[in-house]
Amino acid sequence: MVYPSNHRTIVEDLMKGKFLLSSEKAFTTLKKNEEFYRQFFEASFGLELRMSGEYAYLLSSVTNETLSKSISIFFAILCYELDRDGKNFMDQLQYNEFDLETIERYFENTSYIDLVKATKTLEDTEKRKTLIETMRRRNIVERTGDDRFVFTPAYKVFTDFALELAQKKRAERELKEAEKQINIWQEED
Amino acid sequence: MHRVEPITILRFLTNHFDAVKDLYECQCNEGSIRKEVFQEIVKRHGAEITNQFFDYKILKQNGEDYEFRKSYYDFLEFILVEFRPILPESIEKYYSVINDLFRKIKQGSHEDKMILQARIAELAEQIREFLEQVEKNTLRLLSESRELKANADKIDYRQKLHKASFWIDYYILPLNKILDVNNHHSIAYKLAEVAEYVNQKRLVFPDERIRQRFEKLYYLLVQVNDDLIRNSKILTNELLPLIERIRTESTILSGWIDFLKNPFRIETPAMLKENMFTAYSKDMYYHTKEFFEQFEIQDDVILEDENVELEKWIYNKAAYKEKLLAQLPVENFFEWIMNELKHEFGTTDTDKLFTLACLVFEEDLKVEFQEAEQYIITNQAQFKVPKIKIQNYGLPE
Repeated sequence: MVYPSNHRTIVEDLMKGKFLLSSEKAFTTLKKNEEFYRQFFEASFGLELRMSGEYAYLLSSVTNETLSKSISIFFAILCYELDRDGKNFMDQLQYNEFDLETIERYFENTSYIDLVKATKTLEDTEKRKTLIETMRRRNIVERTGDDRFVFTPAYKVFTDFALELAQKKRAERELKEAEKQINIWQEED
Repeated sequence: MHRVEPITILRFLTNHFDAVKDLYECQCNEGSIRKEVFQEIVKRHGAEITNQFFDYKILKQNGEDYEFRKSYYDFLEFILVEFRPILPESIEKYYSVINDLFRKIKQGSHEDKMILQARIAELAEQIREFLEQVEKNTLRLLSESRELKANADKIDYRQKLHKASFWIDYYILPLNKILDVNNHHSIAYKLAEVAEYVNQKRLVFPDERIRQRFEKLYYLLVQVNDDLIRNSKILTNELLPLIERIRTESTILSGWIDFLKNPFRIETPAMLKENMFTAYSKDMYYHTKEFFEQFEIQDDVILEDENVELEKWIYNKAAYKEKLLAQLPVENFFEWIMNELKHEFGTTDTDKLFTLACLVFEEDLKVEFQEAEQYIITNQAQFKVPKIKIQNYGLPE
């Protein structure tokens, strides 16, 4: 059987939990053979292939909850602080280069400092550096210098999560409001 | 009443523009200029100019307050590029005006030429006004959106979300609808229809003067069409994505804030767990860190007193040693232990096996390890153990 080119990179990288980015050659191969790889990962490892126009990654029933939780808290606080700083965080995540010093300033001065201290993977400078390094290994950030990095499009997995959460919460609130209104009408009747 | 020279009015406006501008901004914000505010602004700029505002018919009284006459207000609005946002409903009115005039032009093309000319001129005027309103609104919306994006006032995300939704829902989308040439009820569609009719008439209408009027109207329509397309492009390509982005960003932030209220109770995006890596991998250090970190966030553990009575076994070494000595020589030590345990407890417990196995270290026993190995199975595990023969010192086999 002839496998597509970059097959080994595709399998190795995705199996390491990395996000395969559209800027990588392997992504083009993966995109071209999407159906094959979807079946391949499902049949071989029971893993689900998730693809967007900008990145691809694998999912299993067993997930790394701690890492996901840490990264989500990291993005939540960073976005919140960037906004408080009067910056458009979507633009910043997409186009800006960050340095560790700026990240430190945000995390040391955040009003969510209690949460930062209570999250072992974020509690101090060293831990935050490790988390950023973990994100680098997963292709969520790309290093551009010693203490500098940019986010890859994989950050969208997390901002999409926040967007869905907000929409879910809004739907819940609207439903509650509607129920409340119905109760008022029923009482009036 | 004497007529004031236009140049005098313009000179007045130039010399006292700061005061004029302050008054204009006051009217923009408040809807009119209160008498005290007027006096305060005039005083602040230190000149005796109250009378000129009324002599030159720049301001007029409205009840107790003052306001700019419409011509001056429009003029100032235009030169300051500070247009009021116009509700699309107001722009929509041009549909019926243009439609009525167009219908009358079509129906009355054989009637009096004077009225036909007047209608063509009026149609052109209405179209110009319509275009101006659209351009003003687009400019205003663009400046509002950019201001919102720059967020110089540092308004919070809720207000931002509200403002972005407001501009999209009440201004941008309805305006876009008005400019949608594919929508049969839009003004843009109506203008295309007018242009088609006018194009024919400018060539075939019997009266030359009217033909020239149609010709002028046609070129106006061509120009308007280009301008509308340009405005529509600004709306769809620049304004809508820009403001939609602000809306999305504010929604994301509200999601993050909801999440941060209780991050450990909300399920976050699933991420693949790495479980195969080698000790010589360059990432081993981080793999290890990541592995240990997963234990650092822990759910609350509730400890409850266990009521189950544990079986207590007190190891009586002397008694077991005596038993062993009595049975020497023992060919297979582990087999002996297993038999003892089965006999005494009915089960073979790993802990007890290990405890009894310690007898092998007793100094007065002669222990002989044999090459053969064997498997023994306790209730908890299976062990591969050597065959051990035990005998007493000095005793023959």
